[in-house]
Amino acid sequence: MCCFISLILYVRSGKTSIQQVLFENLPPKQTFYLETTTRIVKHTYDTVIPLEIWDCPGTITVETLGAPLSQFLTIIFVIDIRDLYNQPISKLVEFIVAAYHENPNVNIEVFVHKAEKLQEDDKIENFRQINERVTDRLLDISPDYEQMPLNFHLTSVYDHTLHEAFSRVLHKLIDSLPFLEDLLNVFCANSQSPKAFLFDIASRLYIATDASPVDSATHNLCCDYLQMLNSFGPLYKSASASSSRHRKLLPPVLSVPSLSDHDQESPGRTTPSAGASNSKQRAKDLFYPSAAALLHPSTPGTTLTYHLIMEHLALLAIMPTPVFESRRGLVEYNVVFFREGVQEIYQVEQEARSGG
Amino acid sequence: MKKKVLLMGASGSGKTSMRSLIFSNNPASMTARLGATIDVEQNHVRFLGDLILNLWDCGGQDAFMDSYLTTQRSTIFQHVGVMIYVFDVETREMNKDLEYYRDCLEGLRQYSPGAAVFLLVHKMDLVRENKPVTFGKKHKELQVASGDADITVFGTSIYDESLYKAWSSIVHTLIPNAAVLSKHLTTFAEVCSASEVILFERTTFLVIATSTSATEDIHKLDGTRYERTSELIKAFKHSCSRVREEFHCLEMELPDFTAVLDEMTRNTYVMVIAHDPSIETGALRLNIRMARRKFEQLQGDGHVL
Repeated sequence: MCCFISLILYVRSGKTSIQQVLFENLPPKQTFYLETTTRIVKHTYDTVIPLEIWDCPGTITVETLGAPLSQFLTIIFVIDIRDLYNQPISKLVEFIVAAYHENPNVNIEVFVHKAEKLQEDDKIENFRQINERVTDRLLDISPDYEQMPLNFHLTSVYDHTLHEAFSRVLHKLIDSLPFLEDLLNVFCANSQSPKAFLFDIASRLYIATDASPVDSATHNLCCDYLQMLNSFGPLYKSASASSSRHRKLLPPVLSVPSLSDHDQESPGRTTPSAGASNSKQRAKDLFYPSAAALLHPSTPGTTLTYHLIMEHLALLAIMPTPVFESRRGLVEYNVVFFREGVQEIYQVEQEARSGG
Repeated sequence: MKKKVLLMGASGSGKTSMRSLIFSNNPASMTARLGATIDVEQNHVRFLGDLILNLWDCGGQDAFMDSYLTTQRSTIFQHVGVMIYVFDVETREMNKDLEYYRDCLEGLRQYSPGAAVFLLVHKMDLVRENKPVTFGKKHKELQVASGDADITVFGTSIYDESLYKAWSSIVHTLIPNAAVLSKHLTTFAEVCSASEVILFERTTFLVIATSTSATEDIHKLDGTRYERTSELIKAFKHSCSRVREEFHCLEMELPDFTAVLDEMTRNTYVMVIAHDPSIETGALRLNIRMARRKFEQLQGDGHVL
């Protein structure tokens, strides 16, 4: 089954920009040239869960959507931060009420978008006002709406707020989230890592993180780091050597049974950067890219690690440099443990999806 | 050793923006906050330790330009190593720009006949259609205006890597021992079984020298990789500085290559790229550590000359 997300509301509020920046890697500066959406455009995106995102034109109504609202798991309303007037707010409220009546379980998210257009103080004031007006309006209609699961996010394509907000939206759709979070907690505790994220590589949305609070500076740094690695990837691609590198990713599905016989093939036993000479042979067939950036000079120093977990997913962790330098083998071992866990969860989910 | 670099061009053509981007580690989005340069802003930029770039950012308003060409003429055009003249690609006053440019060229011929001249066709990001054609046209126009002077023209934009390409080749002309460095980098690449080794200046991340090897043809690497690397690392350095961290070292084992970027000398960073899958990042880092002393020495020698 697909998870439907729809982006709704207003001409030129920035819906398509959001979709393009997140999933098509469009540089934010280029969003200026995007054309107005005139009909519903459906985009599919595969990450831990398959997503189907409907980019709806600003003129959309419940009737013209062409599908019952109950089909959607999440509805994202995008509103321009400067639209705190009566009309846009009532249109938003109208749609929220309709969506809630069709499907009381739907996640309703409001992106107060284009935050970059305002100064810091005005930004927060406008955000608060839009939030307050929508909530007041809903309570005026019926006091029952107090229970409505409604979330507001302040976003902009020019910084990381969009990635963070969309990540949080995504988290509500991932059934396996508590298990992934547990795995991350275990990883962090055993690697002395204060923070670790499981990122979807291409979109730079984080799928899960450990229990410690997300501080946006750290999140932004990890996002930028991932972006740099993504850009480096094809930069030094060699026309001739790629075939001789011969290190292909293992397909995400594991052959779990008879582990002892398959010891040679099990990805769990292979850490190419571990440096053990006897792993070289196996590393040739099974290869998980990794990277590390050492940051200086705040003693004792921080290292940002990157490990591929599955085809689309990477683990980014922050750890003290001394731990990474002196106990690298153990860190790699923990990564392998984490990777096996995630792959197993993924496999179970795949089976459940195909079976259901 | 001091080298005087003149940065000239019409007002608003982007001289100060590019200076702030290359030498102050500011992102492109910050340049909107810069004001107009009044008269001449002199900056001493320490480059590679002993090489000091004496950067003269010359405000481009007509009144200043007239004064550079008359009363200040000898002060401005004396002892110039490089003159960089910036043209806004979308300028409406190309003729006036060219007239000033020719006058500057004349001043240079009079006081510093040996100076290298670089022309930057700037703000290329504003050209929406067919950039190569637009650039080609400008290039020809500038060639004609320069007469028999020896010039190098680049199309640049602060929003992509083209600015790094231009500035790397500008500083390349100022480095006394570039060829020697390149030779040693080639040896170093062989020792590491690496496909390529690139040496960057530490603060600007401009490319100083690269290894030259026969294997380059086999790999057919992306032609813009040097300037793209400068751009990527600078962007990441900026992200680090926002969380009060400082970028120090990077190692990558990616599907297509293995690479280590680490400090080489006090003023340089080195990037080693290997395509052989059996090469470990640890080994590359060890080799870099071993080579450090030799390169410190080379750098020292270069400046005694």
